[in-house]
Amino acid sequence: MSKITSKLDAAEKKILRQIYWRSFTLYSAVTPAKQGASGFEYSMLPVINHFYKGHDDAKKAAMVRQMSYFNTNLAMAPFIMGVTASMEKQNAKSKDFNVESINAIKTSLMGPLAGIGDSLFWGVLRVIAAGIAVSLAESGNLLAPIIFLLLFNIPVQLVRWYGGQLGYTLGSTYIEDLYKKDLINIMTKAASIVGLMMVGAMTSSMVKFSIKWNMVLGGKTILKTQSMLDQIFIGLLPLAITLLCFYLLKKKNVSLNWLILGAIVISVGLALVGIV
Amino acid sequence: MYEAFAVAIVVFLTVGGQELLGFTMLGRPIVIGPLIGILLGDVKTGLLVGASLETIFMGIVNIGGASAAEPGLASALAVAFAIKLHGGLGVALPLAIPLGIIGLQIKTLLYVAVVGPFASRFDSLAAAGKQKQIVRLHFGLWGLQWFLYALIPFFAMLVGSGATQAVLKLIPNVIVHGLTVAGNVLPAVGMAMLMKILWDKNISVFYFLGFLIVAYFKIPLIAVAVMGFIIAILIAQRDMQVHTLEQKMSTVAAAPSTSKPVSKDEQENDAFFD
Repeated sequence: MSKITSKLDAAEKKILRQIYWRSFTLYSAVTPAKQGASGFEYSMLPVINHFYKGHDDAKKAAMVRQMSYFNTNLAMAPFIMGVTASMEKQNAKSKDFNVESINAIKTSLMGPLAGIGDSLFWGVLRVIAAGIAVSLAESGNLLAPIIFLLLFNIPVQLVRWYGGQLGYTLGSTYIEDLYKKDLINIMTKAASIVGLMMVGAMTSSMVKFSIKWNMVLGGKTILKTQSMLDQIFIGLLPLAITLLCFYLLKKKNVSLNWLILGAIVISVGLALVGIV
Repeated sequence: MYEAFAVAIVVFLTVGGQELLGFTMLGRPIVIGPLIGILLGDVKTGLLVGASLETIFMGIVNIGGASAAEPGLASALAVAFAIKLHGGLGVALPLAIPLGIIGLQIKTLLYVAVVGPFASRFDSLAAAGKQKQIVRLHFGLWGLQWFLYALIPFFAMLVGSGATQAVLKLIPNVIVHGLTVAGNVLPAVGMAMLMKILWDKNISVFYFLGFLIVAYFKIPLIAVAVMGFIIAILIAQRDMQVHTLEQKMSTVAAAPSTSKPVSKDEQENDAFFD
């Protein structure tokens, strides 16, 4: 931390701390038209008040500028706010700064960072945290929810804390650099590998489906269906069911609610005829 | 009355709370389940049903404001009813799925009809430079929206438990068994949702690796996560090497011909900032 913020003065450090805390409330008052606009504005108020002190018109203009459509992954938001704050600072200092570029950069960062954040934090980190917590809860461990929250939030809060500082000190050139080095793609791929392995592991430990029906001939059981299936490959049916769901979701665009309903109806139907 | 209050407050503080506290995952079933369990005096059921609902709702996340269900309200009520009616997942599941869908509809309604109209108010306040009012509205809308949302579990608990019990009694055992089977199958849907986010042909083998090592070697999930990290680091290192090598090759190849002013990287950056 000291490395990143060593060149900043006390007021700037304070602003970055305020961005970190205020950006928690980014989606407190989400509107369909502008998503997290009011939260972004609230987070940027310290920046605006500091750099446009005594210039009321410039202050109002900045407030209008920051009350614009904003939607990204929450963990990534402080980074974008840091970049935006550094641009507002430049705008306050120099007269020939292109004001429009502030919202242009902000908007151009939202999409890609939301994509990375969603797959990294929602797709991978949350899944790992929940997977571990669920297995603890199933063995009756009351610490499960606390461990879930810590496993998810410690990395997210670190990204939020340092993200704001990085965004502010490195400014808009930084993200360009990341793309140039292809770092983002490499990181996303690495994270997806961990995520997919976890999803595979959880498919095995959480999806349960076994067949009760056995082939009976003349009062003698001649084929125990489930143990035969287990000899072929353990967990063959849960794996097949999961892959079928994935296929229906991805290739056939079946909606999630239909899939859930279908799973319930088929399960009850199979129970009625005594197969499961 | 106490139960209705308890469940309503849990919904307000977790489902609403996570919107105020940066999606810190307070509103997930794995958190809400034990919390309701503690307040209603049956921690074990809360913990177990919460864990089962977490696996079912695992794939349901709020991405860009779009979702398929709201797991928070669903798990709070389903766990509360499971405790009150001394049932397990068999009671919770048939309640949780429809409640999740209803919850999302109401959440969307509040967001469009209650908070939505204030978008222009925010704009005019910003133009007038009225910071205090913006802050007040920002937090006030949060409180209003989630207070209204918390009324649903309050009244559902107040009037719903007798009716729910009567209906549940009518369900024959074989169907309850079928619903329990469904509860064990439904995580497949959640996993499929996650695979939709993460799947890529080049890395899809790792899904099967994860499945295999748990199915045959019964490795705990935390160990799978660590193994995944090790593999991911190795692959990232290799990718970095390949990438630097490619860059070296392209600079060597591009060096003699000065007629190409725009490199591939610059083109990509241009497209990104367009």
